[in-house]
Parts: sequence; structure tokens; C-alpha cells
Amino acid sequence: MLNSVIAGLSSGGGYALLGLCVVLTYRLVAVVNFAMTAVGAMGAFVMVTLTDEGLNVWLALLIGAVSAAALSGVFGAALARWFAGHREGTKAAVTVALFVALTAIGVRLFGGTSTGARQFPNPFSDPVFTVGSVVVPQSVLVSLAFAVLITVAVGLMLTRTRVGLKLQALSERPATAQVVGIPAPVLAVGVWSGVGAITMLVIVLVAPRLGGDFGTLAGLISTALAVAMVGAFRNLPLTLAGGLIVGCLEGMSASVDSIQKYQGVVPFLVILVLLWWRSRREVWDTAHSR
Amino acid sequence: MKRTYTRTATGAAAAALLISIAGAGCSDSGGSDGPIKVGSINGVTGLFQTPEVPKAVKAVFDEVNAAGGINGRKLELISKDDAMDPARSGQAARQLITSENVVALAGSSSAVDCGVNRATYSKEKIVSVPAIGVDPSCFTSPNIAPVNPGPYTLTTAMLYYASETLKRDKVCLAYTVLPGSGGGIEAAIKEWTNLTGKTLTVKNLAVGQGDPTRYLVQLKNAGCQAVAYNSAVGPWFQQAKTQGMQNVDFILAANSYSDANAKVIPAGMNAYAGTEWQPYTDPTLPGNDRWSKIIEKNGIQKTAFSQGAVMAADVFVQVLKTIKGDITRESVTKAFKEMKPINYPMVGTPYVFGPGNEHNPIKGSQFVKAENGAWKVLPGGFTVPTKK
Repeated sequence: MLNSVIAGLSSGGGYALLGLCVVLTYRLVAVVNFAMTAVGAMGAFVMVTLTDEGLNVWLALLIGAVSAAALSGVFGAALARWFAGHREGTKAAVTVALFVALTAIGVRLFGGTSTGARQFPNPFSDPVFTVGSVVVPQSVLVSLAFAVLITVAVGLMLTRTRVGLKLQALSERPATAQVVGIPAPVLAVGVWSGVGAITMLVIVLVAPRLGGDFGTLAGLISTALAVAMVGAFRNLPLTLAGGLIVGCLEGMSASVDSIQKYQGVVPFLVILVLLWWRSRREVWDTAHSR
Repeated sequence: MKRTYTRTATGAAAAALLISIAGAGCSDSGGSDGPIKVGSINGVTGLFQTPEVPKAVKAVFDEVNAAGGINGRKLELISKDDAMDPARSGQAARQLITSENVVALAGSSSAVDCGVNRATYSKEKIVSVPAIGVDPSCFTSPNIAPVNPGPYTLTTAMLYYASETLKRDKVCLAYTVLPGSGGGIEAAIKEWTNLTGKTLTVKNLAVGQGDPTRYLVQLKNAGCQAVAYNSAVGPWFQQAKTQGMQNVDFILAANSYSDANAKVIPAGMNAYAGTEWQPYTDPTLPGNDRWSKIIEKNGIQKTAFSQGAVMAADVFVQVLKTIKGDITRESVTKAFKEMKPINYPMVGTPYVFGPGNEHNPIKGSQFVKAENGAWKVLPGGFTVPTKK
């Protein structure tokens, strides 16, 4: 049992990173982006396709990140252009459609589970230490460090910088922000591009652990949303903790025989319990802020 | 406006009905002239894609036709793409049987066909010889008999290979089980226990998505020496390497036997794969010569699925040649139910349809090992589980 929990915890850093990307998009542009991991996977597969062709890894990484940024930027521009005045639910539905389309294209371009498996660079695979009988590699520490870095850096940017202030204004009152002279569409496209590039880096980092084919990587969105839910789509440190919690729950469910077969539903169970918990004090018809 | 539309639509429907009645009258392949119509349902688009399968079946039929056909009649393949959509699959079967009036189905390759259409095939008294049986119903229906071993007999062969050929004492199993096929896997494990008297050290039928470390740690702690596994390959082996499981023999199911997977298994890990037909990566193996010749001549992709296609078409043609008199749906069904076993070198046991209510004639598997980013065929031929 203990070993399984530790094994689960070691995957928490990767899950936290995925959740942080969702929270980041939501806080900055007020869209729950279902297409996020698919965009990241697209960039990641551009990268491995180039490294398979013999291109230098760093150059391929850069091209991959730029292509994910461009793709994400296009989606952002489309949402800003055609769906700016719509409700959050509508925007989320648009990203669901984009997710379905991107996954279909990705599987067609890069192959399915067995024909499309790719070798992702895994520079942090060396073991650092052993807890119980679980070997903890460098990648676990790197993921956790990257997650902490995003949490702290974005937290500081939003509260301490002028750009951060503008972004907050844009996400909470886009119309008002535009009236006071914040260039909303340009800023939004910039944010979408930035998040696209970060997501691509995250996907490349977690791929050796979480999946080597396009469909699996794009499908990580369900885990990402469960983790983001722990942080209520707002709180970055809680989201970080959420990654560890989901990892831990997965580890536990794998070790208990009677619940083993239901472990696939862990992320959804987390979502359900949190939705219920959050809404327990809500009164019908009361307006509440995001 | 609306009224005009309705009247036009009714008119069109009536015309269509007339045409289809007339069509059924003159395109009846049950007669003794005209081409012999054969149907197949293949995943060409959608999540399960096997576009090479209908091409390979057609290539075999073209060869037979060039040599004069069967009793002077040409073979015509009518392949329908079901895009892994159950509704489309059902519609395709109805079209093939009622509109096209095919005598049988040969060379189907769809992830949903057997489950959706098994009842239709029984009701219409028509047989199907799929190139690839995917879902459990392909191996448990009275009128379907695929030319591949399928996931269940393959699982028995994988466990048998681990315990008897590799002589590992602690054999474990970590599987992703599709809804509805858990019972089949349990039966396959029981069959292995019956044959060898051995039991599994760890049985995990709930391998899911996400980080595989938790499953690997469980297997490592139990001291597993061989692990039968059927899920995603890349992360599994990356993390198995991190956890120091270099001395464990991992035996993968046929769905993992692809060039892409051989490349993602890190050096130093022991990975075997059970194949359903002779490994397609070596054209010199018995039975592969004919397949590779026909595939290369027609410019078709070389995959394990195309082997199933050539075998299904060959077996179908051989049975058709035994029919004396008219080739109709009735005579074809009768011929398959009464056929003598056919030895086909590409598989481990003879193919036979027969009268039973369930058919899984092909047993056994040839094993390959991942070495330097490619699959290497192991000596020893087919492993067919037998009583010790």
C-alpha cells in the first residue's frame, strides 16, 4: 500500500503541471480550454517528428513550442473574434469541438496507440533515490520544480506587474478593460500563444511517463481538468496540491484489489466530489463570482 | 411548398423501391451465372483503420479471376467501410445481404462488426470469415470463424510461453480489459492453469491510462519474473527501466507488435511479442512467401492485418472450389459447416469452420523479441499450448 502511494505521488508533479496549464488559461483569458493538451501534443509531435528526421533536439523543441504557440494563438484569435461576447459555457463548448477535431487529425497524421508510439527524449530518467521499493528518477523532481516555478512566477506576475493587472482586468471584465484602453484581442492572442508553448513543454516533459502516442497525450485533458478543479480553476498552490492528491489517489486505488477495476474513474470522482463540496452552501439564484 | 416536397419525396421513395426490387431480381448472385458476390465490412476510416485488408482480399480474388475464376464465374468483392460506427456496421451488413445479395462475407476487419451483426448472420444463414476477429463475439458466434487466434487464445499462448518455454516460475499478468471481454480473459487464464497446473502470481485486469509506475511497483514487489501485458508500450518500458526491472521478461500481445513499438523499447529491457500469423517482418518464413509476393505485386502496405486478409481470401477460395453445383448462399454456408480442416502454413493450427456454435480454430503464436529497435523472430516456430 505504502509503495503504491509513493508511486502515485511520484506522478503527481506531472499531473500538477497539466492542471496548472488549465488554471493559467482560465485565469488569464476566462476559458476552460478542453483543446489544451491536444494543442500541446500537436507541438510535441512536431518536435519528435523532427528529431526522428535527425534534427537537433533543442532546435526541434523550439520549433515544436513555436508551432504549439501559433496553433493556440489562432484558436485564441478565433475565440476573441467570434465568441468574445459569449458566455463561458459556449467558449468551453467551442474548445471541446476543437479537441475532437484536433484529436482526429493528430491520430490520422501521427498514428494510433500501437502504430504511432514515439520515443520522447527522456533526459531526466536517472534515479535519484529510492523510497520503499520505488525508484524516484530526476524527472519527478524536475516536474515538481517546474510546477512550483509556474505557481510562483505566475502568481507574482499577476499581482506585482502591470501586464498582470491588465490581464486580470481582461479576464474578469473584458468589455470594461477595452473601454479603459487595454488592447484586449492582442493581449488575449498573446496569452493563448504563451500558454500553448508552455503546454507543449509540459507534454514533452510528462510524455515518457504518461503516454507516447497522440491520442493518449491529447486525452490527458481529463486528468488536467480534475486537478484544476481542486484549485477551483483559480488557486495555483491548491492546483499544485491537487496534482499530488490525484496521483496519490491513483496509487491507492491501484493497491486495493476490490477497487482496482474502478481506478479509471478516479479523476471523474474527484471532479464530482469537489463540485458537490463547492456547491453545498450555494443558495439557489444567488449570483456568485468566478 | 411543403406539400410539393412531401409528394416529391414519396415519389422518389416509390421509384427507389421499384429500382431495388428490379435490382434484386437481376443481380441475384445466388444464380449460376454472373459474378459471385462476396461482402466484407472493414474499418477504413475511424479509430480502427485497416485499409490494406480489402485491398489484399481483392488482390487474391483478382488472381483467381485471372486464372479463370471459380467454375467459370468471377469473384467480386464488395467492401463497406463502417468507420467503427455500430450503426454504419449494421447498415453495411443489411445492404450486403439484402441489396447486394452476397453469398458470404470474407476478409472483414472491423472492431464492431461481429458484435453488431452476429445475430443478422445467424438469421440470414450466411457465414463470415473475418481477416481479423477483434471483439469477443467474433470467437463465440455460430456463423463467424476468423483466421486469427484472437486475444483469448493468444493470452493462453503468452502465459504458456512464459511458464513453459522461458521457464519462469512467477508469471504475472497486467492487462487493460475492454468492457465485455473480462470473462474471456479469465477463461484464457483458466485454460493455461488447466494445461500447466500453474497459477498467476499477480493478476491485474485493470491497467488504465496515466502513469504506469504504480502497476510496475506492484509487479516488482511481488517478484514477477515474467509479465503478460497488452497496453500502451512507450511509458511502460521507460518506467520499468527506471524501476530497475531489466531482469523481467515482458510478453506483449499482438496489438503491440508494430515497428513503432519496437523502436520505443529501451535497450536492456526484455520484451517479447506474441504474433497472430507468421511474423510479417520476415518474408522468408513458411507461408509468408505467397503473402509477400501478392502484397508487393499490388503495392499494398505490409502489415500483420494484410496477412489475415490474404489468408481469409485463400481459405475462402479453397472452400468455394470444393462446392459441386451452384455457388449460392446456401451452398457456401453448407460447404463451410462441412469443410475439412485446411493446413495454412502462416498459422499454428489448421483452419476449420465446422458446425459448432462457437469457432476459434486458430491457436498458438510465434514469438518475437525486441532487439536494437526491431523485432527479431525467435527460433522454435509456433507455440501451441498443450497439456503437460
